[in-house]
Formats: sequence, structure tokens, C-alpha cells
Amino acid sequence: MRALEASSGAARARSGLLRLDRELIVIGILGGLLSGLLGVGGGIVMVPLLVLWARYGQREAHAASLGAIIPISIAGIATYGIAGQVKVGPAIALAVGSVFGARVGAGLLVGIDERLLKIVFGLFLVGVAVLLTTHR
Amino acid sequence: MSGVTLYVALVAFGALAGVASGLLGVGGGTLMVPFLTLAAGLSQHAAEATSLLVILPTAVVGTLTLHRRRIGDAGLALRFGVVGAIAAVGGALLALALPAATLRIVFAAFVGCVGLKLIYDGRRSPEQPA
Repeated sequence: MRALEASSGAARARSGLLRLDRELIVIGILGGLLSGLLGVGGGIVMVPLLVLWARYGQREAHAASLGAIIPISIAGIATYGIAGQVKVGPAIALAVGSVFGARVGAGLLVGIDERLLKIVFGLFLVGVAVLLTTHR
Repeated sequence: MSGVTLYVALVAFGALAGVASGLLGVGGGTLMVPFLTLAAGLSQHAAEATSLLVILPTAVVGTLTLHRRRIGDAGLALRFGVVGAIAAVGGALLALALPAATLRIVFAAFVGCVGLKLIYDGRRSPEQPA
């Protein structure tokens, strides 16, 4: 059932701006705004909205979010870069690890049970919420 | 932390954030920004900017991996990301102009509620085909 929903979510009629559903446009804007504001990818807001509002399957939502993060992060880097805030040294060190990790994580996403994925993502969100409210 | 220790820690932490990114479809910035401020001593703005520079290659590698395994629609994802990119410029300019303390609390509440709902749904829903 959820797989059917996922495919219909991805294949729905696309019209208007960049041939996108209204939901995707709104989700993209919210994700981008959050990304620029907090220096995150924006997936933390896009994935839940893709699942709960645009009716994507959990796995499809994760893939869509990750792809959308590419242009979103380019825009953020450019804006912060002009302001002179980007620290290249630490970024390279983190990226060396994270590029390797991303292959591992994406490989796990391919095979993981959707229910387990939901629970893992849910736990991640609750953890982040606790971190955000307690830290600083 | 400083010097070599810091860079070893950065690579190791990057690997962790990368796994989270590929699996969870997020950038990993929610993990990296606190790490950069606390462990590497960057300012909030510098941490956010640096995090975004890590997120880009991470998302590219994750998306390529998923595209090869035929998960998701990368073309659609990129198009909807372009819309987000316009908003990201606005968000970044806002961040550079403002402290975002109130927003952080609202954001935390949102994320916490959604997390609990997903855990609830995941535990309740029947076995689903992949």
C-alpha cells in the first residue's frame, strides 16, 4: 500500500513552476529557508513533510530530500561564502569522512525495511529536538 | 581540541554524519553544526557556513549511490531543490542578520512532534514491501 502511495506520489501530475506539485514547491521553500538559516541540509524538515503531506514512501522521501539538498546547499555556500564565513580546512576534514559515510548510509537505505526506517528517522528527530532544546 | 587530534576527530565525525545523511536523507548539518561550535570552536555563523560546504559533496555522493540503485527520482529531486535554493539564499541572509533563538525552539518542537509520530506510525503499521 505504502509502495503504491510512493509511486503515485512521484508520478503525480506536475504543472506550473519547473513542472512540480504545489506540495513539492512549498516543501522545497521550507527546506531551503531552514537550510540557509541553520546551516543544515533541510532534510530534517523535507523528509517528514514529503512523508506526511506529499504522501511519499519513507525511502522515496529520503532519496528526494537528499537530491534536493544539492542545489539548496550550493545556494547557502555561495551566500555564506560571500560573507566570508566558510572555514575550508575543517570542511575538507569532515567531508573526507562524510563522503565515505554517505555511500555506506545510502547503501543501507536501499535494503532497509520501511517500518524500521521510520523508527530510526523518528528517533533521530527526537534526539535532535532534545539536543536543540538543551544545548546552549 | 586542536591540531591533529581535531582533524582526526573531524574525519571520524564526518563519517558518522555521512552515514546518517545517506540513510536518513538529511544533510547531516544538525549533527555537524553543534560539533563544529563545541569541538572545533567555530562561531555559530562559521559553523553553519562550513557545515553547508560538507553537506554538498555528501549529498552528491549519497544521491549518486541511490540513483545507481534506482531509488528515487534524482531529476525531480534536483528540480524541487532549485526552488529550495532560492529560499536558502533568503534563509542564509536572514541568519547572517539575526539571532535565531526563538526559531530554534519552534523548530525543536516541530522536529520532536514529527519524530514521535513517525516512531508511532512505524511501530503500528503492518509489514510493508520494500
